[in-house]
Amino acid sequence: MMHIERGPWREMVNHAQAVYPNECCGAMLGRIDGDNKTVSVAMVLDNVSQGSQAARYELRPEDLLKADREARARGLDMIGIYHSHPDCDAYFSETDLKNSCPWYSFVVMSVQKGTFNHANSWLPNAEQTHAEKEELTWPES
Amino acid sequence: MARILIPTPLRQFAEKNDNVEVAGATVGEVLTALTTRFPDLKKNLYNDEGKLRSFVNVYLNDEDIRYTGKEATAVTDADTLSIVPSIAGGAHVG
Repeated sequence: MMHIERGPWREMVNHAQAVYPNECCGAMLGRIDGDNKTVSVAMVLDNVSQGSQAARYELRPEDLLKADREARARGLDMIGIYHSHPDCDAYFSETDLKNSCPWYSFVVMSVQKGTFNHANSWLPNAEQTHAEKEELTWPES
Repeated sequence: MARILIPTPLRQFAEKNDNVEVAGATVGEVLTALTTRFPDLKKNLYNDEGKLRSFVNVYLNDEDIRYTGKEATAVTDADTLSIVPSIAGGAHVG
């Protein structure tokens, strides 16, 4: 299961609401202890998807390299990626699945009419054909 | 020997190392040496056709090897390789 601490959670919600009606994206750093993941740092990253970003996001690999280096420098683990779904539920879409990486947790945040509504965490498989829902908690959940 | 940084989720397949040093004159040789030493890493990095999975990028220091000669890119003992995913998505279907 994954728990997101108050500080990074606020940052993620603020990010998702600030870029609405576009999608936001970023990295989550923290600690992994067996199956328990605790996010203590959220890194806001650029959405570099070409064209409309209302229903698309793309991360620069260079930014993910920076996030990994930041995690190492802080003695933390890179746990996953977050992004928002404006005016959609927090499902793991076919687009999410086909462009995913099985190594990380993917938190999807639903933003309805500009306000955070709900979130889910997903674990895609290596073949990019299926994603399992992962238990997710945050301070107000 | 070149150093390879192992992403957190893959360390379980590399005896929990966050980095390892392996020999090789090219990126391809280094990756082969890595997956020979840690066979469970292979299925995470390569598909059934023996090609790097579509979401796997390899950086030699700060350079994406796609622009430096891919797996034939020369490696020295001073180099560090990073395994970096490609990630995108969105609510849009199709």
